[in-house]
This record gives sequence, structure tokens and C-alpha cells, in this order.
Amino acid sequence: MDIVSILVSKTIVYAIPLLLGALAGMFSERSGIINIALEGIMVFGSLFAALFLTRGITDSTLAATHPQFVVFLAILVAGISGGVYSLIFGFAAIKLKANQVISGTALNIFAPAFAILLAYSVISLGVSSIRLPRGIVMSPEIFGLTIDSMPRWVYTMFFSSLYLTTPISIIILIIAYITLYKTKFGLRLRACGEHPQAADSVGIKVVRMRYIGVFISGILAGIGGFAFAMANGSNHEPDVLGYGFLALAVMIFGNWKPFKILFGALFFSLFKTIAVFASTLSFLPSFGLVKVDNLYKTLPYIITLIVLAFTSKKSRAPKAEGIPYDPGQR
Amino acid sequence: MIDFKFWKKSSKTDKKDNKDKEYAFLSAVISIVVGLLVAIMLLFLLELVAPNSDFSKPILGIKKYFTYSFTSTSTFFKIFYNAAPLMLTGLAVGFAFKAGLFNIGATGQYAFGAFFALVAAILWQFPWWAALLVSIVAGAIWGVIPGLFKAFFNINEVITSIMLNWAGLYLANLLFYNLPAMHTVLPNRTDNLAFANPSAILPNFGLNQLLNTSYINIGIIIAIVVAVIIYIVLEKTVFGYEIKACGANRNASLFAGIKTKSTIIFTMLISGGLAGLAGGIVYLAGTVEFTVESHLLAMGFNGIPVALLAYSQPLAIIATSIFIGFLESSGSGLQGLYSYEMTSVILSVIIYFSAFALIVGHFIKKILKRRKNSKNDQDNETSSDLGIVPEAKPRDDEQIDQKEVVE
Repeated sequence: MDIVSILVSKTIVYAIPLLLGALAGMFSERSGIINIALEGIMVFGSLFAALFLTRGITDSTLAATHPQFVVFLAILVAGISGGVYSLIFGFAAIKLKANQVISGTALNIFAPAFAILLAYSVISLGVSSIRLPRGIVMSPEIFGLTIDSMPRWVYTMFFSSLYLTTPISIIILIIAYITLYKTKFGLRLRACGEHPQAADSVGIKVVRMRYIGVFISGILAGIGGFAFAMANGSNHEPDVLGYGFLALAVMIFGNWKPFKILFGALFFSLFKTIAVFASTLSFLPSFGLVKVDNLYKTLPYIITLIVLAFTSKKSRAPKAEGIPYDPGQR
Repeated sequence: MIDFKFWKKSSKTDKKDNKDKEYAFLSAVISIVVGLLVAIMLLFLLELVAPNSDFSKPILGIKKYFTYSFTSTSTFFKIFYNAAPLMLTGLAVGFAFKAGLFNIGATGQYAFGAFFALVAAILWQFPWWAALLVSIVAGAIWGVIPGLFKAFFNINEVITSIMLNWAGLYLANLLFYNLPAMHTVLPNRTDNLAFANPSAILPNFGLNQLLNTSYINIGIIIAIVVAVIIYIVLEKTVFGYEIKACGANRNASLFAGIKTKSTIIFTMLISGGLAGLAGGIVYLAGTVEFTVESHLLAMGFNGIPVALLAYSQPLAIIATSIFIGFLESSGSGLQGLYSYEMTSVILSVIIYFSAFALIVGHFIKKILKRRKNSKNDQDNETSSDLGIVPEAKPRDDEQIDQKEVVE
């Protein structure tokens, strides 16, 4: 029972950055911009949230009395810094009509390097990881429960690694769905990703919509980066171990649709978790190999490739993604 | 199949090309200058936020950064030691660019090539040239998969190669752990080639002992030869023409009777092979060992600025890779002051500006034309002062607009 509850808890906590990252990618791609910079934006958001938590909050009484409020502020910091960083990408991709993949790659290379340089300057030379303060885990007391009042496995499954990002990302998912499918704005955003010229002809400002799409994308990815830092042992590291790229895979797997993305994020996260615990899970075949966790780590990527191959005909990728908007084009 | 027959190009296209190349050269220079300026600015900005600001530190850092490579023969030859794999990964990226493909998977192909070169060297006791061939094959196999996906399922090669980068990383780790003969000394590191198989180390003709360094080997010569071969293939053969036609407009070239599917597949095959060879050259130098990695190797990504600055032209890649190689080795000069990652900052800014550099180039050209009679333009001056002008002489080839590199 113990191992199952640990698996469930880890699956949920690692699914959150993937969910947020994939939703971030979805908003950008639905507006017609391939946001390959997710990885870099995640690092950026995580960096500033971590700095805010450890350096920015000097008023320790606030941190002591309302730790979750401080975490909430840190989430805002992560979102805003991610959003601002993504605008650098948006400027190149939308205004200057640059190649989106290349400028995205530039941001991916810049962010970890910048995170290291900044940490070296602000903290001390040679220290690139920032330890998040303790007490950012949401304890059962917040919900009026005590640890003793529940079975041990319930605590492990739901509370051992419950962070504020988890409920917030569920809310974000629902808002994302409503925005995309039930509002005027969502319809316009999707139109810009499918056929920007047609959208323009009915008065939608394509450039502005794409900027908004990229900005939302940056906000979500920034929060996702912070969620990753909390999930990954409450440490900000100058990289997110490919979660930005994995989020892209989740997005494709989820066919650019919010709730399918949630499913994809849980599915991928389960594989990641299984890979981490591969050596302790006795029911997993090891195929006579040592360090078989590496094999399970490849699975999400291989599965994505297979899914891509089989669904490429049915794929609902936004038609205009990756193509700079040219009003003169038919 | 690949048609390596030579073909004769009409001189009509050359004039337009030369004009484009002027822009290309100018925008490369701009990208480099801006990259360096942003990095320098960043150093000062970092001092502002540092707990005890000391503005002599960035100045010292800049000085150290640019002089480090000339402090000893070792650091000097490290430029070319770095340039050899950069040239090859740059060629890999640039060659794919020519066909309109963005091979972001060069890093995975590089890692695969590196790993199998060492398997060949340590496990199979191959000599260095045979191990290099193995690295080419390994890289090509890993590179052709995105090509196949692109050709048969029309899936964007960027997505597939990103997936393969990570899958390849873990697969290489898995293979590493399951081949205990590769790492008899340390659990996470392959055995040193000097003990495992000295015949697999790239020859240096005794120059290393003579010049008291360990960074001279035949790698840079191999890389330059390969660059020239790629140049000939791209510019003088029917296959190269088909690649470029494919990159310029896939539908039009299909209509003109070019087998675009096989062109894509062979382009990715060759591109992967080049990246794999880069891995072989690095790890057969005998200076580094393959370690279990949890991150993608930077070398494959650094091929992107090399190719972008050179506008994917093979001979210009020789120059830009030496420049990037210089930046890479300069990063070590910052030790004790800043992090080695300063080079990554410069490279990322260069990539960022290269992404729309052609547009900036046109723009600058326009301004320059307006002030035609003014003395001389500043950009060329500053860059030649730094001694970093890539020798992007006009080449007679077709320029693929950056906008069309990735569809």
C-alpha cells in the first residue's frame, strides 16, 4: 500500500509542471506560434520565484504566519517573470517574423546560463541551486485536518507533497478550457492559429492575439517551472531536466486539447515516476539489465513518437503554427 | 538514389546571390557584436544586484575572457580542438538547413556517435579510423529516424528529434551501464583510452609532446576536409542541387520531378552522420571520457550558431566554428570570477539575433545606403578590431531565406 500511495503522490506532483507546460504550449500554438522555448521559460520562472522566496521576502513574520500566501506571491512572480521572458521570444517570432524554432532555441540556451550567472552573483560563486524555504508544503492543518486523524497512506498519497501549485493548476486547467472554447477571445485565438489571414479579414488583430497567446504561454510555463522546482525536492536548479520538451510531447499527445493534455500529463508523469522507482518496484521486468530505469525513462518519448506516427493523419495541430503572419499572403 | 553527378550552374543566379551574401555577412557581424555587447552589459548588470558590487570585476572578466586563449599553447590549440566538432555539428545543422530541415537533434546524434565510437574503441579494440566510421554510422542511424518520420508521416522533424535527443540520452546511459567492460575503473566514466586502446586515439604526429599540450590532433584536419566535401556535394552535384531545391520549395521541386522523400531521408542520414563524427572526434581525442549524463550535451546545440552565422555555407562554417571554438575555450578564462556559462549567454544572443538577422541586415543596408557618403560604418570597424570577422566571402550558391528554414 505504501508504495502505491507514494507512486500516486509522485505522479500527481510531477504531472503538475507537465500540465502547466503543456497548457502553456497549447496557448501559444493555438495562436500560431510554436513555443519551443518552454524549457527556458520554465527555468526563468523558477529562478525568480526561488530568488523571491529566499531573498525577496525580508519580512519573515509574513513568511512565518502565512507561508502559503508567500508561496502564492512566489507563483505570481514566477508567472510574471515567465511572461516577460516569453515576450522576448514573442518579439522576435511575431514582430520580426523570425524563425520560431531558432529564436526559441536561443531562449532555451540563455535561461540556464543566466540562472547560473545570476545565482553566482547573488548567492556565491559556485552555487547554482537555490534551496527553497521549508514549510511550502501544504499541511493537512490548512484543511482543518490533523496528521493523526487519517490513515498513514492517505497522508502519503495526498499531503506528503501537496503544493499550492497543485490546486492552482487545476483551476488554471478549467479556466483554460473555458477561455479557449467558451469565450470570444478563445475563438479568436484559435482562428489566429488556424488561418490568420481569414481572422484578419473579419477584424481580429492577429499580431495582438499572438502576443497575448505567447504571454499566457509564458505565464503558465513560468508557474510550471516553479512547480517543477517544488516537486523536484524543493530546490531550484538551473535546469528543468527536459520537462519543457516533455511538455511539448504531452501537448501533442493531448492533441492540443486541455483535458486530453491533463490525461497526457498524468500518463507521462506515471512513466517518469515508475522510472524513478524502477529499482524498488519488484513487479517491473528488468529484462536482465542493470539500471533498467533508463529504459523506462525513454518510454514517454518513444510512446510519443509512436503516437505521432499513428495519429499524424488525424492530428489536429493548428494549421498556421510556425508560420510568421504575413498580411499579404492568401 | 543519390545522384553525385556534377552539374553546371548558369551564372544568372550568381548576381542575386552575391547581393544576398552581403546582407548575410553584415548580419552575421551584427549578431556577433550584439551578442558580445549583451554579454558585457549583463556582467555589469550582475554587479548591480550582487551583494557587494565591484565594477572592476566585470572589466577584469572581459579582459581575461578575451586574452585567455593566448596565454599558453595549450589554451591556444584548444580553440581548434573545440572548433573541429563544432565545425562538424555546424555542418550537420547547416546541411539540413539547406534542405529546409532543422536538425535540432544534432546533440542526440553527437552523443550516439560519441558513445559508439568508444564502444568500437574499447570493446571491439578498433583503430581510430574504424572507430570514427562507427561513430558516423551511429549518428546517421539516429539522424535518419526524424528523416523517415518526416518523409513518410509528414511529422515535423523538430518534434521527433527533440524526442530522440532524450530517448537517445537515456538509451546511451542504459547501454553504458550494461557494458561493464567499458568502465572497469570508475562506475560512471569510460576507461581512459590511453590504457584501454591507445591505437584508437586520434594521431597527433608527436606535436602534442613537442608543443606541450594535449589538444592537437588530426580532428581539425578531418573536419576541414569534410567541410570541403560537403561544399562540393552541395554546390557541384545534382544531389546538392536537389537538396537546395527541396529546401527552397518542396512542392515545386516535387513537381519538377525531384524525389523529395528520398532527398529528405538522405539529407538527415548525412546530417546525422556528420554530428556522429563530431562525437567520435571529441571522445577519441583521449582527453575526455564519456560519462553518464542527465542533460543533453551542449555541443550539438552549439552547432546551431555555427551554421546560422555562416548562413549554412560549408566553407564559411570553417571560419565561424573557429570563432565559436574561441568563445568556448575563452569561457574557462572566467574561472574564479564568473561562471563558464558566459559563453552560452553570448551564443544564445547570437542565435537569437541570427534568427532574424537577414531582416536586420537588409534594414542596416538601407540605412547605410542613405548615408552612403559618410566616412565608414561602425559595425565593420568594431568587429575587425576584435578580429572576429568570419571569412564569409561571396560564394556562388543559393541563399535560403531564414524564414523558410523550418516550415
